[in-house]
Amino acid sequence: MMAPFFKYGLFGDEVSLIVAFVTGIGFGFFLERAGFGNARLLAAQFYFRDLRVLKVMFTAIVTAMVGLFVLARIGLVDLSLVYLTPTFLVPQIVGGLILGAGFIVGGYCPGTSCVSAAIGRVDGMVFLAGMIGGLVGFAEIYPHIAAFAHSTPMGQLTLAQLFHIPYGVLVFAVVVMALGAFVAAEWAEMKIGGKQPDAGSLLAPTARLTPVRRFAVALLAIGLVAAFAGNPYRGPFARIDARQLALDAGSPADQVAAGQLADWLIAGRNDFLLVDVRDAAAFAQYHIPAALNVPLANLAADFASRNERIVVYGEGGTAAAQAWMLLRSLGYPAVHLLAGGLEEWKATVLFPKAPAADAPPIEQIEFARRSAMAKYFGGTPQCTGASAPTAPELPKLLPPPAAAPGATPVAQRKKKEGC
Amino acid sequence: MSASTETPPPAKPHMNPYWAGFGLGLVLLSAFVVMGRGLGASGAFTTALATTVHAVAPAHAEGNAFYREYLGDGTTNPLKDWLVFEVLGVFVGGFLSGALANRLRLTIEKGPRISTLGRLVLAFLGGALMGIGAKLALGCTSGQALTGGALLNVGSWAFMLCVFGGAYGLAWFLRREWL
Repeated sequence: MMAPFFKYGLFGDEVSLIVAFVTGIGFGFFLERAGFGNARLLAAQFYFRDLRVLKVMFTAIVTAMVGLFVLARIGLVDLSLVYLTPTFLVPQIVGGLILGAGFIVGGYCPGTSCVSAAIGRVDGMVFLAGMIGGLVGFAEIYPHIAAFAHSTPMGQLTLAQLFHIPYGVLVFAVVVMALGAFVAAEWAEMKIGGKQPDAGSLLAPTARLTPVRRFAVALLAIGLVAAFAGNPYRGPFARIDARQLALDAGSPADQVAAGQLADWLIAGRNDFLLVDVRDAAAFAQYHIPAALNVPLANLAADFASRNERIVVYGEGGTAAAQAWMLLRSLGYPAVHLLAGGLEEWKATVLFPKAPAADAPPIEQIEFARRSAMAKYFGGTPQCTGASAPTAPELPKLLPPPAAAPGATPVAQRKKKEGC
Repeated sequence: MSASTETPPPAKPHMNPYWAGFGLGLVLLSAFVVMGRGLGASGAFTTALATTVHAVAPAHAEGNAFYREYLGDGTTNPLKDWLVFEVLGVFVGGFLSGALANRLRLTIEKGPRISTLGRLVLAFLGGALMGIGAKLALGCTSGQALTGGALLNVGSWAFMLCVFGGAYGLAWFLRREWL
């Protein structure tokens, strides 16, 4: 089994919206169950009267963290494919402080205000209106603060990488810290808020192993195992279905002709990723517009989602064929080869040869079409009569911002992940 | 609705926070496994806003780098977005839970020492701060704190500490609103 299912292409965008709706129902349901539709109960967190914000949040974090570690470690989930929002440290610290201020002033956060509005709380509805007002304001000032918003970039970074601690050890540490925080929270509720611990709390006045205590012990036990369980990330070893791969390798469906690729680029299709597997120097000299440079040796580095349709090409056919095999064994289901590679691209798209003067009209028309295509990509059609002793010159690459004609499919896509 | 003279059945007590958190954690885990992404909230409102602005003033929306990011290249409807559908689900899920626990009531949550108008003004103001903070931090309590927290994301943990810091830091000044 391969998860995340969506990234392995088990279902498409349309189905993902149904998944989104169902996930949202679960999310909203438990937020309301927890009492998070009530601003007064949320704010009680900050006066030590009722620390359920801390308890619910950290129980959820620990549950998902421990669960994901286990599923990744036994190989069911490829952890490197779970989206990690990139870190921009200073803007996130400032944003966090502003958001914290908004929390105590308004009483909600975006998710809880939806739940509160859904159960009829007028303050929740007004909070939502205020949030939209804030977003409008943010959009207007964005051009002036864009540089700050993108300052201190640290990339997609986990605490394990930052502190050079094994992932599993950190999982254990977070479990211990969360359980410690829960005990401290119940103690604070008792001392400051004057609340007596009930049967569902860790400090319940009984020696029995209550269900909540059992849950805590289970988390601790799994956390302890995680500390010694090793790396949850998929290693460099791929598992392949050799028979399926052999069948697909012989099939022409995995090949894209140069003319067809040119048509796709002209039409501005952005449902595929064009990957140039040559080295950076060759790529800098010339590449097909919109191509992404991922040299053969870097292909195993999770440069794209598994559900992405990928067209690979090299100089001729060999490197691309190796890339095809590698990507297929890494679990990319939709990998295509540019038939004949860059050589074929040059011959048919950039420098098409004119037919003989007495060729049938259909060939002349086809040549006219190809000539237009060649000009689109900056090439030159080759006339048969004229002597062409030297190889035709490759089109000059335009500097990146003034993108070559065609499209830059990756950059223009709608923001797909993150908030 | 039926006769309003009847007193509504009393609201049921809230769920034990640890079990609610466990449920929430399982929802989050299922999003990781099925989609390879976590939960979110604020992004849905940004997409809805960007789409609305684009419909009213297309040139303005296209000229703004912030809106553009949520509009895409025009090949797909921006509202056919994962977070938009997820947040629609949040409203439904919240309503269902509230209905099952007899908590559906048109009312305002506030402390006894603040006027209704005062509370609503602060709710609006808090919402506005939340919108700004969430965009600066690339996510809110759902997208950053919960999701990034479970993924041990550096920025999310820094963000989460600051959210608690900001709220605790101002709590004393706002005690009349809540206590």
